[in-house]
Amino acid sequence: MARSVGIARAGAGAAPPAVRWRPDSLRYAIFSLLAIVVAMIFLFPLYWALSTSLRNPIDTFTVAGLGIPWVDFEPTLDNWIDQISTAESRRAMANSTIIAICASVLALILGTPAAYALARFNFKRMPNRDITVWFLSQRVLPPVATVIPFYLVMRALGMLDTHIALILINATFVLPFVVVIVRQTFLDLPLELEEAALVDGAGHFGSFWRIALPLAMPAIAATGLIMFAFAWNEFLFAIAISSKEAITIPVHMAGGVDSRGVQFWFMAVRAMIAMIPPVLIALLAQRFIVRGLTLGAVKG
Amino acid sequence: MRWTGRVRFAFLLPAVIWVLAFTVFPLGYSLYLAFFKIESKVEVTREKVPVLDEQGEPVLLSSGKPRTRNIVHKNQVTTSEFVGLFNFERLFEDPQVATAIRVTAIFVLVAVPMELALGMLLALLFNQQLLARSALRTIMILPIFATPLAVGYLFFTIFYEEGGPLGFLGIPFLSDPDWALFSVILVDVWQWTPFCFLVFLAALQGLPDELFEAARIDGASTLDLLTRVILPLLQPTILIVLLLRLAEALKLFDVPFALTGGGPGIATQSYSFLAFRVGLRYFDLGYASAMAYVLLIVVMIIVTLFFRRLRETYG
Repeated sequence: MARSVGIARAGAGAAPPAVRWRPDSLRYAIFSLLAIVVAMIFLFPLYWALSTSLRNPIDTFTVAGLGIPWVDFEPTLDNWIDQISTAESRRAMANSTIIAICASVLALILGTPAAYALARFNFKRMPNRDITVWFLSQRVLPPVATVIPFYLVMRALGMLDTHIALILINATFVLPFVVVIVRQTFLDLPLELEEAALVDGAGHFGSFWRIALPLAMPAIAATGLIMFAFAWNEFLFAIAISSKEAITIPVHMAGGVDSRGVQFWFMAVRAMIAMIPPVLIALLAQRFIVRGLTLGAVKG
Repeated sequence: MRWTGRVRFAFLLPAVIWVLAFTVFPLGYSLYLAFFKIESKVEVTREKVPVLDEQGEPVLLSSGKPRTRNIVHKNQVTTSEFVGLFNFERLFEDPQVATAIRVTAIFVLVAVPMELALGMLLALLFNQQLLARSALRTIMILPIFATPLAVGYLFFTIFYEEGGPLGFLGIPFLSDPDWALFSVILVDVWQWTPFCFLVFLAALQGLPDELFEAARIDGASTLDLLTRVILPLLQPTILIVLLLRLAEALKLFDVPFALTGGGPGIATQSYSFLAFRVGLRYFDLGYASAMAYVLLIVVMIIVTLFFRRLRETYG
């Protein structure tokens, strides 16, 4: 094992070794086969959603085997067209997009300066790391504990079923992530540039805005993408707060199942519509996911 | 070197105030609510009003009487009464709560260790030289960000017992209470093993090569290498992943909502699911707040247990 670890790292991305009979080739073959089988098992549910969404409703349960389009059945886009052409569906998509974008931008605007403060300044009365852990602990709290008071406050303010209510709550949920992750990014930046800017009289705001922020921008953008995915996926608050005007895709999906019963082809289309944006984000932000999901504790 | 200018508060305070307003205040309010019995009722009253034409004159029926129409007034009336610790006492006698605690405990105690163990095994596998390793790794990432509610509905179609793709197994995935809970666990394992895997793989690849060389020269076996070198070195990472998974698993809501609707019966009704139903479906808001608060305290205890580790990680 020790040797192969070394080889694996040195040869990452390089062509596989020439096939020659030796103990290592057998190991390579068995491990590769195992990894392929595992990856296929994890891929299967997503593949199944795609396959079901392309089937004519009468084919839903009659398709044999793995349900491969063109082989096991004649694929159709009708379910997709039907689904996307309804006004309610389009509204849910627009709502989810608006809410997730506004919430992540809002969280970045609030969280980035706080992250900078924790990375660069010394807070005397409460050590920086305790403030950081305090932010972090917000993320761990069970949302059912805040959903009821939040619902009551929004009802009292007449803000049930509004975009603003959902933007506020989603921004609140992702804010701790932003603070903790972006703080780590600032810590990794060299201090000298900002010190030089301070000597030149740029002030703390100037050196933050003109030096640190541009340097941290790639990581901040990646954080924003991950926050978008979190807000997009949120369901508990969305179903508590929204009923008609502000419904998000998950709420629309839950409502559709109640009223339409079990229609697997629509379920599959809606599941695909819900999952495609966050899954694409996972691919886009691949290099950043480990750091993002462990709140900067593990560097990917 | 760290700066100390007063300007630091201008950077930090907006986020702190935001959290105080939207997290700490609701939590305080929730604790307050937990001591009240709150009842929300919709009072419906009907009022007959004459129908007017464009000139504002009443429209008359052929009988000469003015035509009337009904206006329905819906008025939500909320009453609350201080009941002290009554809501907390109810928790102990409520069989639904006992079931929800059992469901959540089994879920957390089975799903989380499975995810960590499987994630570690896969990370060790993917740390070897493999065919198309980076493509396979990319495939493994896909489940992590998939919308949990959609995942629940998706697995509903997969576990469907009459004609689903796993129908040939003849397993009552969703109709048998024990299997239904296991199905919820399986879905979580599908979604979150890749997360553990990815983090462990990153940590493994961060270990220095010399370490493996040294262990090899010392004649350490593979098992020794794993238990004496790799796992101890990965301990901080494992603890962080454990904390994050525990906290997330205790929130379990979306998947049973979509996959089983909490059923059959209440066999998969998680604690959060029950609190949601009691609060926002039956509008027993005080009781639901008390219920949610108990979960909050459990999570706080877990975080406190990890607190020293967290301080070191973020120090």
